[in-house]
Amino acid sequence: MDLLAQLVVNGLVNGSHYALLALGFGLIFGTTRVVHFAYGPVYALSAYGSWLAASMGAPLWLSGVAGVATGAIAGVLAYLVVYRPFEKRGSTSLVVLIASLGLFILLENAIGVVFGTDTKVVPSPPGGIFLWGPLVVTGVQLAQVAALAIVATAVGVYLTRTRMGKAVLAMTDNAEMARIIGIDTVRVSVIAFALGSAIAAVPATLILVKDGATAHMGFLAVFMAFVAVVVGGVGSLRGAVIGGLALGLIESTGMVRIPTEWQSSVAFVVLFIVLLFRPRGLFGGR
Amino acid sequence: MFQLKRRLPVLVAALSAASVFGTASAQDPQTYKIGAILAMSGQASFYGTVMSQGIKQAVDEINAKGGVNGIKLEAVIEDHKSGNAQEAVSAMNRLITINKVKIVMTSFSAPTQAVAPLADQHHIFLLNGGGVSNSLVGVSKYMFHNRSLAADLGLAAVAHLKSTGAKKLAMLQWKNDAGDSVVRATRPYWEKAGGSVVAIEAVPQGVTNMDTQIAKIRAANPDAIALWMFTPEVGLAVKRIRDFGMKQPIIGVEYTQNDAKIAGAQGEGYLFINDYFQPSDDQPWSKQFATDYEKRYGTKPDFYAANYYEGVYLIAELLKRAKAKGGDYMDAEVMKAALYDDPKFDSVYGGQMVFQPNGVAQKRVGLFKVEGGEKKFQSFVKPD
Repeated sequence: MDLLAQLVVNGLVNGSHYALLALGFGLIFGTTRVVHFAYGPVYALSAYGSWLAASMGAPLWLSGVAGVATGAIAGVLAYLVVYRPFEKRGSTSLVVLIASLGLFILLENAIGVVFGTDTKVVPSPPGGIFLWGPLVVTGVQLAQVAALAIVATAVGVYLTRTRMGKAVLAMTDNAEMARIIGIDTVRVSVIAFALGSAIAAVPATLILVKDGATAHMGFLAVFMAFVAVVVGGVGSLRGAVIGGLALGLIESTGMVRIPTEWQSSVAFVVLFIVLLFRPRGLFGGR
Repeated sequence: MFQLKRRLPVLVAALSAASVFGTASAQDPQTYKIGAILAMSGQASFYGTVMSQGIKQAVDEINAKGGVNGIKLEAVIEDHKSGNAQEAVSAMNRLITINKVKIVMTSFSAPTQAVAPLADQHHIFLLNGGGVSNSLVGVSKYMFHNRSLAADLGLAAVAHLKSTGAKKLAMLQWKNDAGDSVVRATRPYWEKAGGSVVAIEAVPQGVTNMDTQIAKIRAANPDAIALWMFTPEVGLAVKRIRDFGMKQPIIGVEYTQNDAKIAGAQGEGYLFINDYFQPSDDQPWSKQFATDYEKRYGTKPDFYAANYYEGVYLIAELLKRAKAKGGDYMDAEVMKAALYDDPKFDSVYGGQMVFQPNGVAQKRVGLFKVEGGEKKFQSFVKPD
C-alpha cells in the first residue's frame, strides 16, 4: 500500500511534466497542424539557455526566464525559417513532417557540438526533501506539479480572455475559416510557436535543476508529448493535459505488479489502445 | 658473354635486394590506419567524445616521435550512434573497403558483437576498450579487450558488500546485455553466499527518470544497493536514491566525471569497483597523460579516455612486434600470434596489463569511495 501511494505521487509528478510538454506541443500542433518534432531539441535548448544563464551567475529564477526566452525565440525561428517557407509553397504535411525530423537531428547535434556531450547541471536549490509518513517528495517535484497548475491556468486565461488567445482558439478550431474572417494566421502561428515553446521551457528548466540537461533529452520529451496529445485528442488542450497526467500515472502505478523493465513500453501500449478504440483521443472532436 | 658472367653476381645481388625491399615496401602502408567505431552521436555521445580524444592524443604523441617503424599513425573514427549495431556494421564495412583498415578499436557491447563476424572474415584485429558484456568474450578470434568486464567487476563489488555483513541486496540495472550480464553473474554468487536479492529493477539505457524503480527498491528495504549501469545513469541513480531518503550503502562498477557532476553532494559515500586509473606522481606515464589531456581538452581524463589512449600505444607496440615476425604482419593472425608471444604491454594505469587466453587483459582493479566530491582509492581487489 505504501508503495502504491508512492507510485501515485511519482505518477502525479511525472504526469505533470508530461502534461506541460503536451500542452506546449498540443498548442503548436493544434493551431498550426505542424507535427513539430523539433519541439524536442527546442525543449533541450531551453534547458541549455537556463544552464548558460546560471553558469554566468544568474539566480535560478532569472535562469528560468532565460530558458523561457530561449525556447520562445527558438520556436519562432523554427517556424519562420523552416516551416513557413514550406507553408508558403503549399507543401504537403508529409514534407513538413520530414523537414521537422531534419530540424530535430540538426538541432540535437548542434547542441552537442556547441555545448559538449557531458551533462549540464546547476546547483541544487534549497527546498530539500519532504517526508510524509512513507511518502517522499522533493522540492523540485512539488515545483513540477505547481508549474503545471500555474502554467495551465495562465494559458487557459490567455486563450479565453484575450483577443489574440481567442484568435489562437479560432485557428485551432478551423484554420481556413479563421483566415476567411480576417485573422492573421501567420501571426497566430508565430504566437502559437512562441507560446508552445515557452511552455516547454518550464519543464526543461525544472529537469535541469532536478537531473541535469543533455543534448539528447528532447527525444523522450517530444515522444511523450506526442503520445499525450494523441491520447488526449488533437486540438484539445484540456485533453493534452489530462493525457499527460494519465500517461504519468499509468506508467508509474502500472509498475506496482509488473517488472519495471516493461515501463518504457507502457506509453506505446496506451497509444495503441487509444488509437484502436478511440482514434480521435479522449477529448478529440469528431 | 664474358661481360655477362662478370656482371651476373652484381645483377643477382641487385635483383635480390630489389626483391627484398620490394616485398618490404609492399607490406608497409603509407600510414598505419587505426579504425575506431565509437558513439560519436546519440544519447551516449559522451563516451565517443572522451574515447576519441584519448585516441587522437596518443596518435599525435606517437607521430610527434616519428611514428611506428618510421610510419605515421592515422585514426579513422566512425560513429555507431550510441550502440546501433546496424550503424556499426556499415561503419566497419566502410573502414574495410574504403579505408583499407586492418585494425579497429570498438566500443559498446552490441556494436562490437555486430562487427565481429566481419573481423573474422577479413582478418581484422579488434581491440575493445569500452564494451563490458561477458558475451564479448570469444565473439571473434581476433577480439581483444583492454577493459575489465562488468561481470568481473560486479562480482568483486558484491564480494565487498558481503564482507560488510549485508544480507538483503537490491539491484538497479541497465536493461541491456551489459546490465544483464552482471545480474547473471552476481545474483547466484550472492544467493550462494547466503544473501537474498530483494529487488531487481531495470531501466533502459538513456533513461532520464527512474523514480518508479527507486520507489520499488525503497519498498523492498534492502541492506545495500548495487548499480549495474554506466554513465550518466550512475550519477542520476545515486542522486535519486539519496533524494528518496535512502541511506543504505550503494556500490557500482563505474563513476565518471560526468556522474560526479550529476550526483553532486549526493554522491558522497558511493562505492565502486573499477579499473584502477589514478594519475599520481609514482605513475609517471599516467601523470603525463592526464596533464597533457587536461591541457589539450580542458578536462580531466577518465578511464575511458585512458583505455583508448593506451589502446593506441598497445597497437603501436604490437605493430613493431608483428613486423619483426615478417610477412603480412598487419594480418590479424600475425598480430594475434605476436600478442600471445608476449602478452604483456605497458598500461597507462601503471605497471603492465597481461592478456589472458580469453583475450581479456588483466589490469589493476580497485575499490574506490567518493569522499569530499573526489574518488578516493581504498584498496586493490582481485575479481573472481
